[in-house]
Amino acid sequence: MNAPAKLPDPTDLPSPTRVLTVDDSASMRALLNHALTGEGFAVSQAEDGEQALEWLALNEVDVVITDINMPRLDGFGLIEQLRAGTRHKDRPILVLTTESSEEKKARARSAGATGWIVKPFAPDKLAAAVRRVSH
Amino acid sequence: MFIETPALLPNLTRITVMQGQACVSDGPRVEFSTVLGSCVCSCLFDPMAGVGGMNHFLLAEPPHGTACDDFDEHYGVYLMELLINDMLTHGAAKTRMRAHLYGGASLNPGLARIGARNAEFAHDFLAAERITVVREDLGGTQARRVDFRPARGQVRCRTVESALAPPTNPTLRPPSPTGDVELF
Repeated sequence: MNAPAKLPDPTDLPSPTRVLTVDDSASMRALLNHALTGEGFAVSQAEDGEQALEWLALNEVDVVITDINMPRLDGFGLIEQLRAGTRHKDRPILVLTTESSEEKKARARSAGATGWIVKPFAPDKLAAAVRRVSH
Repeated sequence: MFIETPALLPNLTRITVMQGQACVSDGPRVEFSTVLGSCVCSCLFDPMAGVGGMNHFLLAEPPHGTACDDFDEHYGVYLMELLINDMLTHGAAKTRMRAHLYGGASLNPGLARIGARNAEFAHDFLAAERITVVREDLGGTQARRVDFRPARGQVRCRTVESALAPPTNPTLRPPSPTGDVELF
């Protein structure tokens, strides 16, 4: 009698890459959520840097995508605070912004950002970038 | 609040806001002007900061029988965000912003849908961002001229000869490499 075929263990399936998006615009959050969940990512969302820090204190994430211009704590401040601690020192952080100035880009880079994307974003390019930095 | 029918102002600097542009100012002698057919313009004003801004757009129409995803909502959100961010840079606060919406007319019966769809986009965007629309003059079959004094939030909107309205070509994304990813 043949041994029953071994079913794949569901725990062997790769878990989706977890992405936290940080943007004060509800419309932009909706576009990001639609684009990233459609690509198979597990998406969480925060409205500004402060809310992102509160969420990150309690949750794990693989990639952070943040806007720059936000109330309370902006994208630069968020990156600086995440890099100042040990837990998110090496976490990939992509900046997604309407800013196109080289000065702002240089500031994001020196704060510790992993990459820079100028809006309006292309969903396929954004998804490819998330995959690239998360591996 | 917005005040209608601005009085004549000496030494006025009039700036024409073209399709695809967003302009913001707190200058007391600045007036933004635009002429709209199917295009939509949003005027935002923060009465406490004394700052106002105007944008002017016409997003691509979804072809008949296709999904609404073909409507370039990404670019629309980007154009609205540009205006809001420029307002914030000038000292405005999003929670205090009030909006006016104008345009979205149907000058050509064959293009009836594009103006209405753009007006709907602007409405949906402002509702999602919790920015109150205090006045609107949308739809219809006539072109409009809008004059807006940003520092005081004064707006005048009147119908004009449709021949004065710019041609109905959607605001296309600039050829710059937006959406490209630069990894450091």
